[in-house]
Amino acid sequence: MTAEVSRFTREQIEALELSPGFKHEKLEGWVPAIASEGDLRDALEKAFDYRGDVTLTLKGGERVEGYVFNRQAGATLAGSFIQFFPADQPDPRTVSYADIERVEFTGKDRAAGKQWEDWIRKYNEKKAAGEKNIALTPEALD
Amino acid sequence: MWTVATYVLKKRFSGTKRYPLVLMLEPLFRCNLACAGCGKIQYPPHILKKALTPEQCWAAAEECGAPMVSIPGGEPLLHPQIIEIVNGFIARKKYIYLCTNALLLKKRLPEFTPSKYLTFSVHLDGMREHHDMSVCKEGGYDIAVEGIKAAVAAGFRVTTNATFFDGADAQGIRGFFDEVMDMGVEGIVLSPGYSYDKAPDQNHFMGRARSRRLFRTVLANRKKSWKFNMSPLFLEFLMGKRNYECTPWGSPAYNIFGWQRPCYLLQDGYAASWKELLETTRWEDYGVASGNPKCANCMVSCGYEPSAVIEGFGSARGFLAMVRGTFRLYPDKAALAELENPPKASSPHLEETAV
Repeated sequence: MTAEVSRFTREQIEALELSPGFKHEKLEGWVPAIASEGDLRDALEKAFDYRGDVTLTLKGGERVEGYVFNRQAGATLAGSFIQFFPADQPDPRTVSYADIERVEFTGKDRAAGKQWEDWIRKYNEKKAAGEKNIALTPEALD
Repeated sequence: MWTVATYVLKKRFSGTKRYPLVLMLEPLFRCNLACAGCGKIQYPPHILKKALTPEQCWAAAEECGAPMVSIPGGEPLLHPQIIEIVNGFIARKKYIYLCTNALLLKKRLPEFTPSKYLTFSVHLDGMREHHDMSVCKEGGYDIAVEGIKAAVAAGFRVTTNATFFDGADAQGIRGFFDEVMDMGVEGIVLSPGYSYDKAPDQNHFMGRARSRRLFRTVLANRKKSWKFNMSPLFLEFLMGKRNYECTPWGSPAYNIFGWQRPCYLLQDGYAASWKELLETTRWEDYGVASGNPKCANCMVSCGYEPSAVIEGFGSARGFLAMVRGTFRLYPDKAALAELENPPKASSPHLEETAV
């Protein structure tokens, strides 16, 4: 077991009244400075966790925007890769960490900015104004 | 039940250590609801427009060999080929649970054919007001109930599935069970909410202690009329009467990204094949025993019901406990007292909804 996962003891977990929840990191628009292998690995780990598109600049100069859905970090950059769906192509691509020069969090963060409390406030306001069929709707796809 | 029992026994006798019971097949992530507690649909539009083909769906089921297929999403009724997908599974004699919010159920019902292999599992989180607030849509409950009634009347198998969050009222849940059974459904599925790290709301996922207290209050002093479409041993686990370790490979998830590591709820990467998933996932990093914070509050059926089912069909002792649990009503004076004098809700915002 890795140290980072063993954060809680069994007793602590069993006694939890409320889940601690997860803090949302604001990454939209971020362009990490990549000065070392560690910086690149960190940036790609965040890109994997990000619920929006990122733009990658590859060492050959190609820039591609897409959604990173998988990563496999190995001992070396050449032995590590990410997988992503380019925004304008149907099939996924696999790119080695060693071929990536720059990472930009260019796409909208789809997991940001929607809170239960906001919904309740909005609902109460609309209800008080006499509105009916109050709802949150998914964002349009086009 | 017979299919699952023989499947588990075969795996046991063949010495197979890790095997799936239910394939969690997500044919698309697109949904027509925007629930605050859901962490499944927050993707860019080009991802939400993608969907598995029928062939990919069937191949995943064949590859892992699970006897049952649960089809959540996203909303599967938005998939343009959902009828073909379902009919293909029926032809392969897979038991399917099509999990739907039922907003489109009544409209699409005539396209389906009743079968013992097909069950509509309709998302209902409680009685009208509670459900509508939970799915962030006023009127959602009425539409879903209309769909349930139409499906039952047309001869389909129907169950409901409910997710409960902090602030859920035990008395209200019991009233909801009465209401649902009156609709003619086969059974109820229930679960505490999982704290998706991408869910819009991070403040109302119950911890294990609170989950156990709620489910003990709800499920003790049971009415004979209530039927649950779940392992009785899993219900005892929710009530805190027994403990299990997670069996994440028991309900593996497959979607447009591949085989999800390590489970249906947690996204820690993807494997290209079922074999790769089994062989390369660091299983020891997950589950309560690992101390992984992402597993800390989890008591969800996709991880723990397989553990209960395997125990129930895996030994004479387990089988007897399961049979006993099927008929027990769990009389419990302390639970009754808690039901009559509930603790004050720790989520004041939920009280605000009663405007």
